[in-house]
Amino acid sequence: MVRTSDTERRLRAAAIRDEWLGRAYACEPADRAAAEAAVSELYRLIGEGPPEFVWVPSPAAARPLLPAPVRLRGTEMPARPADWPVATRLAGLACDLRGRLDLRTGRKWSPFGWEPFSGRPTGEIMVEGVRDPLRQSVIEGLLTPLRTALMPDGPPPLDLAWRGQHDAAWVGYYDAWRRAGSIGYRPSDAAQLDLWAVLARSCGWWWPGEHRCVIAERTSSVRTEDLGGGRHRLHDATGPAVVYPDGWSVYSWHGTRVPAWVVEEPTAELISAEPNIEVRRCAIERLGWDTYIDQAGLRLVGAAPDPGNDGSELRLYDLPRTVLNRPARVLLVVNGSLERDGTRRRYGLGVPAHLDDPLAAAAWTYGLPVSRYAELARRT
Amino acid sequence: MTITLAELSRRTGLSVLDHLEDQLEIPVMDGLQAQGDLLIVPHAAVAVAVTLPVHPWREVPPAGVVLLRGAAGGNPHTLVADRGTCTWTTDVRDSFGLALGALRATGPVYLLHPEHGATGLTPGTYVVRRQREIGHRPPSRGFTGGGHRLVAD
Repeated sequence: MVRTSDTERRLRAAAIRDEWLGRAYACEPADRAAAEAAVSELYRLIGEGPPEFVWVPSPAAARPLLPAPVRLRGTEMPARPADWPVATRLAGLACDLRGRLDLRTGRKWSPFGWEPFSGRPTGEIMVEGVRDPLRQSVIEGLLTPLRTALMPDGPPPLDLAWRGQHDAAWVGYYDAWRRAGSIGYRPSDAAQLDLWAVLARSCGWWWPGEHRCVIAERTSSVRTEDLGGGRHRLHDATGPAVVYPDGWSVYSWHGTRVPAWVVEEPTAELISAEPNIEVRRCAIERLGWDTYIDQAGLRLVGAAPDPGNDGSELRLYDLPRTVLNRPARVLLVVNGSLERDGTRRRYGLGVPAHLDDPLAAAAWTYGLPVSRYAELARRT
Repeated sequence: MTITLAELSRRTGLSVLDHLEDQLEIPVMDGLQAQGDLLIVPHAAVAVAVTLPVHPWREVPPAGVVLLRGAAGGNPHTLVADRGTCTWTTDVRDSFGLALGALRATGPVYLLHPEHGATGLTPGTYVVRRQREIGHRPPSRGFTGGGHRLVAD
């Protein structure tokens, strides 16, 4: 028997992870026949007949069609689990499945939480190489911003919803175990996992109801930046980062969800009116610190030649208290190397408000005394 | 002996953006140098704040050591040295919390970055520090680094 080395296993796991990542970011129209068949089969597993399907172009479009959220109060729930709402029973089905798959992969629960796979290379490969990157890229990086974007219009839609392509995060993890981790699942569990996998490959979010299931299309455009190791975050500097077929979209700046104006038309005025500090920072970065300083008319505290960076100046400005929520100044610095278009990039660094000398401010950013920073020989 | 950016790029297999002038000789200097958000400072200049370990110091392999990667994954700052001329450690203590590591060189060593090009260091012991800026979270009690964030370009 040939033993799979850890390196091979790691590479194989990474390839499977990227496959699922591709499905989570897929932008083709839904495969409606496949999705409906898989949902009907899941309904059958909880003893229900196939539901009527209502297709919508985006999660936002689904909202008016959804039943009131199920209230899971012990005192109000029907006594027999078989009488519980479909969504609740489907959640139980998936939860039991994942519990059994976790046992199969050797993951143990103790009173202190999940025990780590310490000393088990395969477990570590699966957790660090597949589960965590998928969670970061798909759940935290994509699903959460989309859900947050739906919140201002009211409470999030029925929380016992399934995410179709975005369920690739957990489906991919268990799939990697069986394909690269040399473990087998019970045939009935494998078959049910396949159903969830079909949904992750064929549709967007879906909301199971009694005799009726609302299903959304997949995203029609997703733009991310690659952080390496299968980790991505939403980002588009010129347009929406996520778009659905009906035009519902979400903007994101380096992984922070922002209102459309931040990307489309940032201005110093809008920035000063923005209550969220993260959004203010993103908007200033999008606008560019030098443009922001001009537009906002910040007071120049001082300027000095940048040592080691011939012909460039360090410029120190007063920053309105509201920008960083405390008194601060901003040091506008110039990159030591040229951009592709022959210009030099300028960027702002927040520094403490007590610094009056641009050189001292630059020295502070490196934790140096001014006299040392003045000796800077070269900046590239 | 001096080398060009093109030669360094060929030797390490690391590419640099094609608009950088790659036929100029890379200056090899002592003293303080900055490359993007990194600062290379002779250890003597910051000895008050930075304590170096006795061990472990690891040899810098011919392919180089990545000191820091840009926020978006790409664009690493890579330390490059001839075999046997440079050792490197990350086990440093910096009272400012800015040091990434330290290096000891017996021959010229180079710091290479796809956007910033390359710079050379004369033999000596250097500390590699990151840049900080004031953050928007107020300083927390009992944690000296509170309220600052490290700059990532």
